[in-house]
Amino acid sequence: MSAFFSGVGVIFSLELRQRVRSLSWYILLAVFVGLILMVTVLLSIAFLGFGEDGGGGIYSTIIYFVLLLGTLVAPALSGNAINGDRDAGTLAATQVTLITTWQLILGKFLAAWVTALAFLAAAVPFLIYATIVGSLGFGTILVSILVLAGELGIVAAVGVGLSGLMSRPLFSIVASYLIVAGLSVGTLIAFGLGGLAVQTTVTSTSSYGQEYNSNGVATSCTSSTTNEYPVPRFDLFWGALVANPYVILADAVPTTYDQYDQPTDLFGFIKLSVRSAQQAPETVTVYDECAPGSGLYEDRPTARETIESTTPGWAVGLVIQLVLAGGLLIGAHARTTTPAAKLSRGSRIA
Amino acid sequence: MLNLMTSVEAAHSDPAHNDPVQGDLAPTGIVVDHVGRSFGQVHAVRDASFIAQPGTVTGLIGPNGSGKTTLMLMLASLLKPDSGSIRISGCDPVTETAAVRSRLGWMPDVLGSWSSLSVRDTLIYTAQMYAIDKAAAATRAQELITLVDLPELADSPTRVLSRGQKQRLSLARALVHEPDVLLLDEPASGLDPVARASLRNLVRRLASEGKTLLVSSHVLSELDEMADGAVYISQGVTASAEALARSRASARPWRIRSSDVVALRAALVADGIEEAAIATDRTELIVALEGEAAASALLAHLVAAGVAISTFAPAVGDLEHAFIDLSSGETK
Repeated sequence: MSAFFSGVGVIFSLELRQRVRSLSWYILLAVFVGLILMVTVLLSIAFLGFGEDGGGGIYSTIIYFVLLLGTLVAPALSGNAINGDRDAGTLAATQVTLITTWQLILGKFLAAWVTALAFLAAAVPFLIYATIVGSLGFGTILVSILVLAGELGIVAAVGVGLSGLMSRPLFSIVASYLIVAGLSVGTLIAFGLGGLAVQTTVTSTSSYGQEYNSNGVATSCTSSTTNEYPVPRFDLFWGALVANPYVILADAVPTTYDQYDQPTDLFGFIKLSVRSAQQAPETVTVYDECAPGSGLYEDRPTARETIESTTPGWAVGLVIQLVLAGGLLIGAHARTTTPAAKLSRGSRIA
Repeated sequence: MLNLMTSVEAAHSDPAHNDPVQGDLAPTGIVVDHVGRSFGQVHAVRDASFIAQPGTVTGLIGPNGSGKTTLMLMLASLLKPDSGSIRISGCDPVTETAAVRSRLGWMPDVLGSWSSLSVRDTLIYTAQMYAIDKAAAATRAQELITLVDLPELADSPTRVLSRGQKQRLSLARALVHEPDVLLLDEPASGLDPVARASLRNLVRRLASEGKTLLVSSHVLSELDEMADGAVYISQGVTASAEALARSRASARPWRIRSSDVVALRAALVADGIEEAAIATDRTELIVALEGEAAASALLAHLVAAGVAISTFAPAVGDLEHAFIDLSSGETK
């Protein structure tokens, strides 16, 4: 087993030496830091007027911005890992050695991941700044950084996987961007359209009070009327929603609640709506003011109860993403392994 | 003297000896037995058979698109044959891939290098890919840099290397783990005359150390100088014994030089060669002779007739003759 990992280590180190020595990598890193600096400064000025409550907003926005830039940079770092080597004529030179296909793929994946993590590391000072200003907990920043690191790993794996599956670097990089776009935007569209396309009819029976006694309790009511109306079934599609990296991030971060058990930051509100979407709508509702006990407020679950009683969406989303990334890496292995039985059209093995 | 290897030498007529690995004396070197490989409708290699013995240099020759590179890729354990079997040092590249790779050095025709790495680091990384530890890899890299004569460029990135220098780096990379079997694909292309001479010496020295070398090249005169034998492949098929025998016996031009061309021409005509069949090339005459025996007989006659002969040699190399003869046979 250690022989396996030392082989992975050789590929990893070779990849890093090639990437980190290129000037363009440092320029990209500088542009990345510059953009985050700009956004942080502008947000700080914008939220200054909101006083103490602004911190959560700043923090959430900055970390989302880091996620956005990270997922935009990672495909460029990984999307030509394997087919780029084939174009340069160095892939076959590696494959005739004792390096196995899995060592090659894992080494390249780890190198792409670590390269992307350098961008996250450069963003950490800004995250810490936002945490201090927003007086958020240590758990929040730790989980945020872990989720960001995980998301960059997923994108790196997607990029490396596609670079093994497709023979042209340009196409595999574009395909990696499309998958990132699919996860970031496509999941929202799938969730929205899916929920709207599948609708359930709700039967609602209601009778309202006509006369009330001195205590405000209804003594006579209208005859009950029955309404039927369709409602979208978002609860069937929450799986699509939680595959979204932004949703995973918001869902994973531990929520802080105020005295009314309401979330205090942007991530908390996103988490609440994502968790609420898991609940199926009631198909029969009855409202009768004359029924005993009515008129008192129904005991609706609080935000805290909703969040604590539902499935952790981030875990489901992460599993979906891991299956996608793992599947692409397995596909890349099948396509790249030697001695090769099948070759894609027009591809030269050397 | 070169001899062309035939598929008969590689074909195992006795089924009991069909699997070379099972024999008491596992054959080393390269054994290729009725190997075929196609890409969809294109049959790149149809039926290739030959044996390359340890301690010898075997040339692989054939026209463009004849399947040389496909055959090389199958030998290098990168491509799976559709049919037939390959043994490299007694191991099957398909089922015993790691064993084959530890014994095999491959110098590809595509010159890929990690452009930002230095020559030394390229060799160190390659050695590490063969599970050689870092200290030993550094020592080996230094040996190879000296061997292929790149000491001034050892610490320059490989992107500054010229084609010939990359070629030498590629050769060094193939030698990094001291393989028993070496596949060299067009090793001499892009080399200057001095580098060619040292390549030839290196190839001969490796053969004398007991390694098996298979060299594909278009420069036949060069293969003539370094190869002990050759495998001829055309349209995916290695030349049959009959074709090679025909080629050996077929008439080939001989170049004869004498200080007295007139006397030489008269002597040739007297020996029964038609005047019209004698070509003149500057001060030399060229006549077609069938086989070595006919050449020896003619030389004896000319000397006996008192003609002053200063050169009496085949006008084209053995490989070139076979190449042209077999190629023209294919097109008929």
